[in-house]
Amino acid sequence: MDIFSQLGSVIVGLFQSSGLCHLGWQNYVMIVISFLLMFLAIKKQYEPLLLLPIAFGMMIVNIFPEIMANPVTQMLTFEQVTAQGLDPASYPTSSQLITGAQAIAAGFDPMTLEKVMVGDSEFYKVVYYTVTENGGLFYYLYQGVHLGIFPPLIFLGIGAMTDFGPLIANPKSFILGAAAQIGIFITFIGAILLGFQTNEAGSIAIIGGADGPTAIFVTSKLAPELLGPIAVAAYSYMALVPIIQPPIMRLLTTKKERSIVMGQLRPVSKLEKIIFPVVVVVLVAILLPDAAPLVGMLMLGNLFKESGVVDRIAKTAQNELMNIVTIFLGVTVGATASGTLFLTPKTLGIIALGLIAFCLGTACGVLFGKIMCWATKGKINPLIGSAGVSAVPMAARISQKVGQEENPANFLLMHAMGPNVAGVIGSAVAAGVLISVLK
Amino acid sequence: MENINLALTLLIAGFVIVFMVLVLLIIIITIYGKLIQTAQKRSNKRKEKKKVVAVEVTEKQDRSNAPYIPAVQDDEDEIPGEIVAVIAAAVDALYGEKPHRVRSVKRSGNRRSAWGSTGVMQNTRPF
Repeated sequence: MDIFSQLGSVIVGLFQSSGLCHLGWQNYVMIVISFLLMFLAIKKQYEPLLLLPIAFGMMIVNIFPEIMANPVTQMLTFEQVTAQGLDPASYPTSSQLITGAQAIAAGFDPMTLEKVMVGDSEFYKVVYYTVTENGGLFYYLYQGVHLGIFPPLIFLGIGAMTDFGPLIANPKSFILGAAAQIGIFITFIGAILLGFQTNEAGSIAIIGGADGPTAIFVTSKLAPELLGPIAVAAYSYMALVPIIQPPIMRLLTTKKERSIVMGQLRPVSKLEKIIFPVVVVVLVAILLPDAAPLVGMLMLGNLFKESGVVDRIAKTAQNELMNIVTIFLGVTVGATASGTLFLTPKTLGIIALGLIAFCLGTACGVLFGKIMCWATKGKINPLIGSAGVSAVPMAARISQKVGQEENPANFLLMHAMGPNVAGVIGSAVAAGVLISVLK
Repeated sequence: MENINLALTLLIAGFVIVFMVLVLLIIIITIYGKLIQTAQKRSNKRKEKKKVVAVEVTEKQDRSNAPYIPAVQDDEDEIPGEIVAVIAAAVDALYGEKPHRVRSVKRSGNRRSAWGSTGVMQNTRPF
């Protein structure tokens, strides 16, 4: 009989600790959203490297929120420690002197406490035990995001993978990389008009840079409480580039402009490629020190690659390190999207403004592409302007794809890589401006 | 109102700073690109002169041993030596034992041949 009642209490205990009891409707909504994101990542292959860990992190935190729990430090008295069945000898102690009245107010019996005389006043010594409860697994992994460590490391890997050759061959691409950042600053005004604080508006606007690590870096500095929605919005829009960009590109260009075939790029020498990262870091870090962590790491990775003397390091940066950081960043960013915190009107505002920022960035890039097309008498295809919103290399692929729809023999990919990598530098510079003005 | 003012200031300042930094980069990259290109062209020309002299010497010494000498006319686009070697080998394979000589190798302009287009298309299809 005893066994049955024990079994019954175990089952009740299990049921009470299960998700069925403590999950709210918001958690269930987020779980469904995570399924949708997993579908997009696996079936549609939209940026699966990021979307899959994000979706999984989102799912797991909404089923088991303790995985993101902060570590808890409690100051307990001897009685409280023993009441929890803990061994007081294994915890560090600290003592505090309190007056008799304070002791009674705190629920102590002064008679049981050690009396200490300080001058003429009478105090009682209370000994506290510092009991620390560890946080959840994702809490610790998340520190890399929270402290702004992961984004520069991701940039190191991106730098080691990126060939800046097309940009060096055609430096005018920088103009398109800069033009696509205008969306960031216009969205900032929109966010202010919608009632967001200036620091929040800055973090929302940077979504328009279409650069996940940059968005996380800026938000961790300006508005850490918004990291979840902003990171999820930034990465989701990056994943949805193939859906968002083409209609804007087609709307703003004529058939004739889309069919422009661009001339071959000149070959770039190794020496030029080696000097490039050094020049960029020196210039950007001097003019805008706040952009130095991102641009610095990006260019360090690129110098590893181009110098050709540290092959092992370059390979680690672009493969193992990048992959490890991507896993940690993905799951923990997803894990910030816990239902109760995520499903708020503010998040909806952030997601809507993020989309506007992204569309504006694309539009500004294409419009500047048109201006350059006109200025060069039709030598530049305006479609490469949309690649100015970082999202490497997806945005460049979209330029290639939309161009090829008009003319199957048109290869814009390498031309679009110029503005694409310029966009990475441009959004890091824009991030530096936002941080230095709003911090 | 204060926030709107800040937003407008940021719009203008951000726009100007981002463009200024990137335009500065354009200028610097263009300048050092040109410098390096000119320096490399000069050193290439020097090397070529040496080669031509060396080739002339060997020609005088023994003409029968040299079925063809690829005299490369680089013009402005430098065609790498390996490419010239491949072209010369292809010509040799085509003409076989008939006496022949590759006098110059020139780029055909920007238009790709059907073969070239097919190759590029195949390589970029995954994108």
